[in-house]
Amino acid sequence: MTTQSRLVPYLYIAPLLLLLAFVFGYPLVRIFEFSFKMVRGIDGPWIGLRNYQLVLGQDLFWESVLHNLQLLLAIPAMVVISLIVSVLLYERVAGWRLYRIIVFVPFVLAIPIIAVVMKRMFQFSGPVNEVLRWLSLDFLALDWIGSSDVALWTVMILIVWRESALGIILFLARLLSLDESMIEAAKIEGANWWQRLRYIILPQMRGVIEFFVVVSVITMLAAVFAYVFVMGGGRGGPGTATMVVELYIFNALIRTSLPGIASAASVLLFLVSVLLIFPLFRARRRVRKLEA
Amino acid sequence: MDITRKLNVSRRDIIRTSMMIGAGSAFGGMLPRGAHAQEKTLDMWWWGEQELPGLQKFVDGSIAGYKDATVKAMLQDTAVVISQFQTAAAAGNAPDIQYLWNGIYHMESVWLGYLRGLNSLIKPDILKASNPTQLSHFGGDIYRVGWYPLPMFWCYNKDLFEKAGLDPEAPPKTWDELLAACEKLKSAGIEPIGGGIQDGYWSEWYISHGLVQNLDTLGEAVQLFIGDKDFREPKYHEHWVKLEELKNKGYLNQDMSSLELYPGIDLVVAGKLAIGQTVGTRLPADSKATNGRIGYMVMPVFGKGKLAGMPIVDVQGLGISSNAEDPAAAAAFLEYLQSPERLKAFWDATGWLPSNTTFDSSVIQDPSVRGMWEAWGLKPNISNVTNLVPGQFYERAAIPTGQQIVQGAITGEQAGELAATVAKEWKEFNPDMVENYRKWATDLSAPT
Repeated sequence: MTTQSRLVPYLYIAPLLLLLAFVFGYPLVRIFEFSFKMVRGIDGPWIGLRNYQLVLGQDLFWESVLHNLQLLLAIPAMVVISLIVSVLLYERVAGWRLYRIIVFVPFVLAIPIIAVVMKRMFQFSGPVNEVLRWLSLDFLALDWIGSSDVALWTVMILIVWRESALGIILFLARLLSLDESMIEAAKIEGANWWQRLRYIILPQMRGVIEFFVVVSVITMLAAVFAYVFVMGGGRGGPGTATMVVELYIFNALIRTSLPGIASAASVLLFLVSVLLIFPLFRARRRVRKLEA
Repeated sequence: MDITRKLNVSRRDIIRTSMMIGAGSAFGGMLPRGAHAQEKTLDMWWWGEQELPGLQKFVDGSIAGYKDATVKAMLQDTAVVISQFQTAAAAGNAPDIQYLWNGIYHMESVWLGYLRGLNSLIKPDILKASNPTQLSHFGGDIYRVGWYPLPMFWCYNKDLFEKAGLDPEAPPKTWDELLAACEKLKSAGIEPIGGGIQDGYWSEWYISHGLVQNLDTLGEAVQLFIGDKDFREPKYHEHWVKLEELKNKGYLNQDMSSLELYPGIDLVVAGKLAIGQTVGTRLPADSKATNGRIGYMVMPVFGKGKLAGMPIVDVQGLGISSNAEDPAAAAAFLEYLQSPERLKAFWDATGWLPSNTTFDSSVIQDPSVRGMWEAWGLKPNISNVTNLVPGQFYERAAIPTGQQIVQGAITGEQAGELAATVAKEWKEFNPDMVENYRKWATDLSAPT
């Protein structure tokens, strides 16, 4: 092969590479650059690591990180719910077609839409508390979105409800690709529902579960903005009870006119996300391998 | 009104806007010379239809009727009012005329050199009558013409006052009178006071009404927000202590923490809450909905500052950018908007008042609205102190303090400590802005 012919394929993909470099690479470089500057308007003087010092020294940033980490607690619940529902759908319980539509709906609807609806539901005088009071369960009628002690958990309920739909879609797709003869054989051998799940189905779903867990970790750390923005009154409230790193960045950039601070926090979040992408790729490889 | 805080504009929006302006210019250039209505062309970026329906009609009518220049108006998205202007100004492409929220929301552009002073451009009597407010003064110049006012006050439901045995025409004037009224309302089974604080704006408005009670000048507020004065001093956090008192006595509505600002005000209109905070633009509709049973008052007085008990009027405005090629032409258009004929057209199009003390208020039919305008707009008033708040203080202290006091998570004194901490933190994050704020504080402390 001549040098010229070796270069040809690269020339074919060069336009796309250039486009990608412009769309993703340029902003990334600018964000890294801004994180070392005190930006006012569209540029500013170089200040070294000062932005990082300020971000890492601010209680609010660490509080935001803590809230992101707290949201990780939702993942086991999401996995369990997704597994149970997908297996039930796979086993075609009575009315499974209707149930399938119902459980997929949250994922089809935009987050702001369901968050606005949930917010109304969870108001102190909203339908959820009205039902609880009607059932004489007044002690459970909490100030779901108005109390700092409860608000993040309420956001978590919403996240679990919606993100589990993704888990159900993924798990069901995997279930539908399983070799049914193995499950049938187990049934004939007398294995009950739990035994079939535990010893036949789950081992074959390990890859997709890992994939879902890694995606969910990334979601909890870097993609919950829409949830907290709507549920937390646009400010991570009440107080700072639902503040997360994304909202911290948004506030620094948009509301407090500190692009340098926003960039420094973005770089930190970016680095954490990059670290998480490696296990994601590994999980995807495993899924493909198992499916093959 | 500063319900909206500044958002950033994407490069795509800039390009799109530039393309649209470019395309417009190109098509304009293709027209035969005789087709041009006027030689002068002014670009105007404005906002306000979002909070004052009918403003678009007024702008369109004003442009159509203006003969001295062709005005190309663009209604801005709420999210980009400030950033779109600043980005364009930094690139030298700002419009001739720009809509400007009050206080820091345009003062930052002044400090960046993006706005022209208007003292030498607009006739002094017109400028003064438009009430650009003290918050538009910097370095001896004024940077906005007032466009429309936003009086801020406490509202109350007269029917509920009557039900509780209170005089609906004599709302409480002092803090003790307020507490007595709240007690009577509570005893009558009525939720006395509050609204909705979930989105935080109630917190902001409470500071607007409360903090000023112990201030002698608005410059003192700036000194507080940047940490040159100390929020831990009792008089500077007394308003939060008073809010805590309302909470502890059980006077605040129970669902206050989970409701947003406007649904909270709706409770007063619906007769479910006796007293709340509101803005003037709501009054015509709320008064109509209740057959004039919505009353208004200044926040009952507890403080000893010179600003205590003063009506508050925020004003939205228009300014001229430094990029304007013909600032005199831009100024002439702004003066035209303040002409008696245009002031009347403003009222006809929006059903709301223009910001001009010469406006003939006899056209206002609703006695509540007329009374409010006469008491707030035509008598001595002060501007909204929270328009002086740096964004960082607003987000970290102004909003959370109220929310946390209302839910019982912190005391008024702790709110003062938090505010002092955040003011100190602001200085660390914004060392380059401190001197501008100090200069502004000096301007705002000077007698006008």
